Amino acid sequence: MARKAKRDLTIEQKLARGPIDLPFLALVMLLTGVGLITLLSASFPSAMYNLSPNVTDTGGDPLYYFIRQARFAALGVVAMFIISRIDYQQFRWMSVFVLGASIVLMLLVLTPLGRSGGGVTRWIKLGPIRFQPSEIAKVGIILYFAAGLSKRNSQLGPPLEKKWNRRTLLGRTCERLDRIGFLELLPYGAALVAVLGVIALQKHMSAMVLVVMGAGAVLFAAGIRLGWFAAGGALVGAALWFIITQTDYMKARIDIWHDPSVDPLGNGYQPLQGRIAIGSGGLLGVGLGNSRQKYMFLPEEHNDYIFSIWCEEMGLVGAVVLMALFALLIIRGFWLALHARDRFGTLLIVGIMSLFAFQVFFNIGVVTGFLPPTGISLPFFSYGGTALMITLGEMGIVLSVSRQIAAPKAE
Amino acid sequence: MQDPKRTSRSRDHGRSNRSLFRRTIALMLALGIGLFIPLVGQLYKLQIVEHAQWEEKAAIQQTKSISVNANRGAIYDREGRTMAMSATVYKLILSPLDLYNSVEKENYKDKEGKLDPDAYKQALYDRRKLIVDWLVETFDYDEDWLWKQMEKIDNGWIELETEMEEEDAEKVRTFTSKNRITGLLYPTPSSKRYYPFSSVGSHVLGYLSQNENSGDRKVGAQGIEAVYEDVLSGELGRVVTSKNGANMEMISGYEMIFDAEDGCDVTLTLDERIQAMLEQTLEEGIETYDVQNGAFGLVINPKTGAVLAMASSPDFDPNNYSKILNEDLQQDLAEVAAEKGEDSEEYGDAWKAAWDKQMRNRALADAYEPGSVFKPITVAMALEEGTVSMNDHFYCGGSMSAGPGLKPTHCHKKSGHLDQTLTQAVENSCNVALMKIGLGLGADTMWKYFEDFGLFDSTGIDLAGEGTQQFWKEETFKGPTGVQSIASASFGQTFAVTPLQMIMAFASVINGGHLLQPYVVQSIADGDGNTVFYHETTEVRQVISEDTSDKVRGILESVVANGSGHNASQNGYRIGGKTGTSENIAIKNIDPNNDDVMCSFMGFAPADDPELLALVVYDTPKRSAPGSNVTAAGTYISGGNIAAPMAGQLIAGILDYMGIERQYSDGELAGPDTPMPKVTGQELTVAKGNLQKAGFECRTVGTGSIVQGQVPAAGASIPGGSTVVLYLGEDAPTEQVAVPSLVGLTPTQTKNKLEELGLFMRATGVVDYNDPDVVWASQSIDEGAMVALGTVVEVRFVSSINYGDDQRQ
Repeated sequence: MARKAKRDLTIEQKLARGPIDLPFLALVMLLTGVGLITLLSASFPSAMYNLSPNVTDTGGDPLYYFIRQARFAALGVVAMFIISRIDYQQFRWMSVFVLGASIVLMLLVLTPLGRSGGGVTRWIKLGPIRFQPSEIAKVGIILYFAAGLSKRNSQLGPPLEKKWNRRTLLGRTCERLDRIGFLELLPYGAALVAVLGVIALQKHMSAMVLVVMGAGAVLFAAGIRLGWFAAGGALVGAALWFIITQTDYMKARIDIWHDPSVDPLGNGYQPLQGRIAIGSGGLLGVGLGNSRQKYMFLPEEHNDYIFSIWCEEMGLVGAVVLMALFALLIIRGFWLALHARDRFGTLLIVGIMSLFAFQVFFNIGVVTGFLPPTGISLPFFSYGGTALMITLGEMGIVLSVSRQIAAPKAE
Repeated sequence: MQDPKRTSRSRDHGRSNRSLFRRTIALMLALGIGLFIPLVGQLYKLQIVEHAQWEEKAAIQQTKSISVNANRGAIYDREGRTMAMSATVYKLILSPLDLYNSVEKENYKDKEGKLDPDAYKQALYDRRKLIVDWLVETFDYDEDWLWKQMEKIDNGWIELETEMEEEDAEKVRTFTSKNRITGLLYPTPSSKRYYPFSSVGSHVLGYLSQNENSGDRKVGAQGIEAVYEDVLSGELGRVVTSKNGANMEMISGYEMIFDAEDGCDVTLTLDERIQAMLEQTLEEGIETYDVQNGAFGLVINPKTGAVLAMASSPDFDPNNYSKILNEDLQQDLAEVAAEKGEDSEEYGDAWKAAWDKQMRNRALADAYEPGSVFKPITVAMALEEGTVSMNDHFYCGGSMSAGPGLKPTHCHKKSGHLDQTLTQAVENSCNVALMKIGLGLGADTMWKYFEDFGLFDSTGIDLAGEGTQQFWKEETFKGPTGVQSIASASFGQTFAVTPLQMIMAFASVINGGHLLQPYVVQSIADGDGNTVFYHETTEVRQVISEDTSDKVRGILESVVANGSGHNASQNGYRIGGKTGTSENIAIKNIDPNNDDVMCSFMGFAPADDPELLALVVYDTPKRSAPGSNVTAAGTYISGGNIAAPMAGQLIAGILDYMGIERQYSDGELAGPDTPMPKVTGQELTVAKGNLQKAGFECRTVGTGSIVQGQVPAAGASIPGGSTVVLYLGEDAPTEQVAVPSLVGLTPTQTKNKLEELGLFMRATGVVDYNDPDVVWASQSIDEGAMVALGTVVEVRFVSSINYGDDQRQ
């Protein structure tokens, strides 16, 4: 083992110094750049007019949000390169700690260290940085799942005759559960339930959905029986159906989702203003920087609803181009997953890119009214320094995996 | 998991890797492509299919239409006096938001970019204090309140003032430009309506206020301002600009301007002077006779239907219409406030009731029972139909019942008027005679004339809020039980018409039979001064013949000269008219003990060719005691004793103002005012000749043949026919004399008493030197006042006879 390890180490060291995937890097940098420009365009009116100095006092500086975001983008790019240089095999052991730390941090949110915003307490402030620990939990659960499931090397599992004592009921039950793959799922299920439980304490529905989606994608790729997905999907579907139809709160939100103009100045205001922005953009848009909706009509215009400003300024053409960039990044990410050196690398990228794809899908879905309103930010675009850094960090992990892909053999 | 055999392991491994590969590809396609398809579809729907709809919504909210005030037209009276005009005033705007942002944090940072919070806070405080102190000092604001406004840093528009005058606005501009804070506190133009004559004509003019549809703008809420709102307001201009979500104009947005069109000027038929005289007459009467329920009156030109004055008391000041103007109402309110407190519901209700009262144009809106004022109309019907003639005689035995088994109706003179001619019956206001005339006409004829005299229709005046008449059902009136109704209708009771309907019907009786449409707007001129509308006299129909009209005019002149309207007679003018004393049957049916009574007089002049027709109605003069027929001052409560003298004065005043000359008959000794010639230094005989030529009589004091002094001095204007004093052999005395008591004296006695003292009398009111019942009523200079010799004392006379109107049944 030691000999083998020594030889492997040198190879791994070599591999870890391999070239990063340039198309993926280019797409990340492009999206970061476009994201910053869009943020500048979307945020300068509210920064300049400083209409609610009680909430965020920009001092009337139109570049207030842009400069802060650009600073984090720079830091994030540096972090991305640093992470990309880490041999991703190290993430196997780190995964447990990342997950553990994120759970602890999320619990700390509930202590006086927690910070509120928009009526909910989801942030924590450590020194100068303020961030949502749930962002880390998302990465943590993917790392943990990928690390564990990569060691699973068969879909059906080996014969298990000797493992269980068939004479006892417990033994027989366990054997049956093992056979259908239930026992194998237990540790993952436990970790998932723990994380979801802690996020639930923050009443952060969208984060829970994303965690489930990311973790589910890893499980799916790892070869878990499809029956479990059917069962899980049915369970989640039933729960959603119950919440949506049986609670007045959700019913009101669903009504507003269908037609925001039923409450144009209340809960329907933001979705309605978002759709006005998108709809008035038309095919070609009003031109970069020319949005009118950003002048204090659309709330969160530099945040969750930044995509509608992009649509208003760049039109359907610009929106499709931007979504193509996202799609390309996702596809390139999966391409890297397919070519990864080992199962861990594959699952790692599958998890991260799935999480990313779902986040993009949910944000655009909500902003365009395809999905019911919920607060999910758009990666690379929405204002939020630590969120941007964490996104770039995740891209760093993908790049780290890309370094160890074997170069195509010379013909 | 470590156990499986090598072969199985590698086979499993391969299978597992193939599964991983397949599933990853599936995810790649699903997430990289599949998820985006519905999103593109949704975007296509919003941006292409529904684009127009969203763009319109965006345009609506992103543009701001600022209305540019069109200047509201002025309202003039018929002589061109400005009754209502608009002028520019200013709103004073404070922006705590801009003030907050004007103190930049950048300026209070040290080299490392760290904010010095104390310095910053001090700077903000200083700037706020600068404005607060100045406002407190200059305009006397409440300092604490201002500081509270300053804290509202999310607010960019606080209206400190809404109607600031230019002078104050200039002060603000000077202050802000000196301190370079022009965007933080500034006046912005707005407009204000002024009514220069305050309450004069308030009910006709109306006032401006905001309503639920007008938003920020004030629109006409009553009277001409409301009826001619569109004409006066003109076309609002608009400036369409782009705005942001905080409703602030965008610096570089697009702009479209639609010009404003100024409103038209409206010229009324109302005459401010006549209107003021009418209001004065109402107020004076209310005060003199302690009238309980207010009064109302109308003055029209009976030849055209033009309304010269229309008034109702209590009234209001359109400059400040939410204030209770009338002192009696104020007093009542103060009593409620003292008892229940100003926050009480009772006070609120009382205030609302008082306000409703003062806003009500009773001359237009409230139907009333005209009473005996209606009698000339019944007479006109009968004369026109030929059922009576001028030579007919009517016997009044004191009471009469309309038909067998009906309760008899009494004349006010219980002993009866006995034998009367038609003219005498009207002079006496005899109910029995009128009942006979009415019953002679019959229900059908009478009903037809009600209709012809316009009593079933609104008059069509160009004002809103005309009241509705109340009559019997046609079947009832014409039916077998209608006899009593015919009887009471013939003397104007048990039905109600609006004062305006009454005066228009009366006008047709005296103007040759023409029922006219009354109007208050004579002409309208657009912003450039071109007349766009001119009211021509509109005749509704001819009701009676010129001949009948002439006869009734004669009868009515006699009513004032010899009958119950005698108190309306005025020295030098030929006045015709009819008194009325009416009960309110509607109220009396509910409360039999109610003894409210309306004292009215309808008079016109000159009697042969009427230029004006006036109606004055006092609602319930206070009785000296319940059941008493006189006021506390002893005046008999009737139209002839209360309304007639007031109306007579009013008519004389208007005729004087209109420049219609007084013509004195033989019975009227006092002539028009004449300047005294200079006779001092002349021989007595020469002086006497000169004085006679000028129309004066004279007496002498002292002996001699040369006039050494004269009273009054040369050039002084005194009534013609006065006896002047010539001093022979001595100078005219210079000491003052005391004005004597004249109470109870007849005109002749009064004249003599004053002239003995070297004073002169100018008689007004009923100046009939042959009628012993005409006595002093009031004098212009109080008894006991010291005046110079030759001073003219104006003395008003009334008839002391009690004139009844037989309203009591």
